[in-house]
Amino acid sequence: MVEKPITGTKKAFMTGNEVVAWAALAAKADIMFGYPITPQNEIMHYWTRLAPKFNREFLQTEDEISAGFTVCGAVQAGKKAFTATAGPGNVLMQEPFGMAEGMRLPTVAIIQQRGGPSSGTVVYSQQEVTLTTYGGNGEGHRIVYSTSTHQELFDYVIKAFNTAWKYRFPTFVLGDGYQAKMREPLEIYDPEEKGIELVPAKPLVGLPGSIGDEREPAHLCNIYSLEEELYEVVLKLAQAYEAVAPEIVEWDEKMCDDAEIIVVSHGVVSRAAYDAVGILRDEGIKVGYFRPITLRPFPEKQLREAIKRSGAKKMLIAESSYGQLMRLVRQEIYGETIEIHGLLMPGLGIVDSDIVAKAKSLL
Amino acid sequence: MASVQPAMPKSWYLPSKPHKFCPGCGHGIVLKALGEVIDELDIQNRVVFGCDIGCSLLSWNFFAVDSTQTHHGRTTPVMVGMKRANPDLICVGYMGDGGGYSIGSQHVLNSAVRNEKVTLILVNNTNYAMTGGQLAPTTLPGQITETTPYGRDVAKTGYPTRGPEMLAAITTDGAYIARGTVAKFRQMKNFIKRAVQNQMEGNGFSFVECLSTCPTNWRTNARQTWDFLEDEMEAYFKVGELKSPFGKGEK
Amino acid sequence: MYFVYKNYNASVLGILGGVSSSNIIMERVVEAYVGEYASGKSEVAINRALELKEQSWEVTLVDLDTVEPFYTLRPLKALLEKKGITVVGWEAKETFGLGETGGLIKPAVRWVLKRSGCIIMDIGYGVHGAHTLNLVEGAYDDPHLKVLAVVNVARPMTATVGDIIDYVKHLGRVDGLVSNNHLGNDTTVEFVEQGHRVVLEAAESLGIPVVCAAVDERLREEVAKIDFAGVPVRYIKRYMPGAIW
Repeated sequence: MVEKPITGTKKAFMTGNEVVAWAALAAKADIMFGYPITPQNEIMHYWTRLAPKFNREFLQTEDEISAGFTVCGAVQAGKKAFTATAGPGNVLMQEPFGMAEGMRLPTVAIIQQRGGPSSGTVVYSQQEVTLTTYGGNGEGHRIVYSTSTHQELFDYVIKAFNTAWKYRFPTFVLGDGYQAKMREPLEIYDPEEKGIELVPAKPLVGLPGSIGDEREPAHLCNIYSLEEELYEVVLKLAQAYEAVAPEIVEWDEKMCDDAEIIVVSHGVVSRAAYDAVGILRDEGIKVGYFRPITLRPFPEKQLREAIKRSGAKKMLIAESSYGQLMRLVRQEIYGETIEIHGLLMPGLGIVDSDIVAKAKSLL
Repeated sequence: MASVQPAMPKSWYLPSKPHKFCPGCGHGIVLKALGEVIDELDIQNRVVFGCDIGCSLLSWNFFAVDSTQTHHGRTTPVMVGMKRANPDLICVGYMGDGGGYSIGSQHVLNSAVRNEKVTLILVNNTNYAMTGGQLAPTTLPGQITETTPYGRDVAKTGYPTRGPEMLAAITTDGAYIARGTVAKFRQMKNFIKRAVQNQMEGNGFSFVECLSTCPTNWRTNARQTWDFLEDEMEAYFKVGELKSPFGKGEK
Repeated sequence: MYFVYKNYNASVLGILGGVSSSNIIMERVVEAYVGEYASGKSEVAINRALELKEQSWEVTLVDLDTVEPFYTLRPLKALLEKKGITVVGWEAKETFGLGETGGLIKPAVRWVLKRSGCIIMDIGYGVHGAHTLNLVEGAYDDPHLKVLAVVNVARPMTATVGDIIDYVKHLGRVDGLVSNNHLGNDTTVEFVEQGHRVVLEAAESLGIPVVCAAVDERLREEVAKIDFAGVPVRYIKRYMPGAIW
């Protein structure tokens, strides 16, 4: 019997990419497909070192298109498969992710955002929000978790597998180059020992039973002949997605009850936002903190609720992109009359003093 | 006219020198050969140089010729597009083993089949060097890389790609296919010159793979580096011209 | 010519190799820090370089991180140079907004042992372990070279005695260990103490010494009560968080 990669709970000091590899092992992922691209290479480096010890598999594919499609194939065969990428690799993977959306395949992908567009930088950004939430030629029926700490990277990679296999929508953990390379302490654990049930994988092909006598052959597709057929398919996808969205949506909010300005941010920037809100509050300025943890489905009701409860007149969106979160927010809270301002720093890290200064300028 | 060979090719771009390649890297040698070829053929004003992502990226401002940086694996189609738009340009694409045999393989293959009149130079150092030394299509069996920490297992990943052999098999007359090595400079330079001339004469697809060194990722000292290049790499990747409209070339 | 130079250098160094603050002539220090990814090699190397500088040595700090050089010494280069340390390595902006971080070794790294004074090498992680020293001309022949593996039991790959022994064995030549057990901002005295015991046991099994224990200087008072079993303690000022962001 192969031993478990992690037993019990223990404190460790790790880098983000490493955390992803260990979490995937802990979640009992069977196989990883990947292609080198900075800044996520260490996910592969760790997986290739550890996987053989726990009977897991790996393939370095010829490119990201292949990495995405091999994941699609593996999940159809009933194995927990995942991949990781960034930037131009994420762009290439939209084709396979589109197939996953169309066929409801439980793919898991970790995206470590880097500067864009094009080759941009290898370092950091939050410029893959649009791509990860609505990329491909579909309607964005995907689940996207945006993490901000290594503890969350660990927790949400495990959760991503469960979410994908339970709800059968392509699921993403959206990190970034800073999270990938930073080092910090966290607790790693065996999820089952902590009472987290791991959703089992189920094959769509190679099913048991003899065809003809015991079962029909599985005929899976993602193309339709008539517009009406497609219409029904997409509506059905939307209904299925909207039905489970309330169970999946996650967010965090603090100090919004009496806020005059609500600071909205996601991912690693929310750490700076939280510190900034604390600093401003200490100075008597009434600022609130709102952080969507799921970008898809977006906590739209909860944000509207926070706006209503606080009576805030201004919203400050802080992001390391030129408005990708802002666009998402505007779309989701359409109709709200709150003034929306942006601290838009594409590809640049944002620290608390940046947010403090900007918030003060809005007073 | 007796003239002294300049130490640095005229077509090299001075402000970007000294270049940033690692000590012992073969790229500088290949680029010197290409620089001398550009000078000798006097085509500095007609060449467009395209580079890929990876260590080849460091060559983007290497030459005093018009240059363009592309995406990983996409140097080939960019050069093809340029050549088709303006056939007077001499399009030279420069890439590594990943850019040509992995993510770029479909482009190289199809350009070869279509006999696109571009010249591609592929530097083979058996790993994805720039990103830290991962497995490449040309990594040798048993070779340790960051994604084959226990050595390349051919049962799982197949054998190293022999690109020129494949391209020679799928191209027709007019194509020029060769494999050189930085260990044999004059021969490699001659191959590169013929690959450029092949394009200038409008014959067809021209491709030169150059066996090169990467002591940084191989973690080898000078002697070990050359042993690996000359003994192990050449044993697997045979050096010479595989196809040429010019008749038999020198060995 | 090379051999004459080498002998000259060695004899010159014997006389002029640097003077400690107590005016005793010592041999120069040549150390290569190896170890697991994020084990603390760069932090320990930087602090060691600064410590030697305090002792009036001429010090050169070398960036030999071939897997992710952009995130280690480079951003701190200017800061360290102001403190009088020569840093051999590229600065991020010198290497052309390079799309990719990369295994870029500055050519001067190859000949770094020819320099006078102390040489501290920060060898990045990677599947080849200490073999990176092949890239430095004459490294393995250098009479002063010490290859030190930095170990932090908070790193999952080197958490137990068995793990550490396996890991150090696969690194290649290792002359000693640096016990650098911490959990970043969550470090406790108990953790440092327990971790140190594990490292001591592994070192004994491997037959090599624990050269020192590295401890965040902010914990100086609290760790005073720990018995480090005769291993000298180096108090570390953290510079690396300034390297990212």
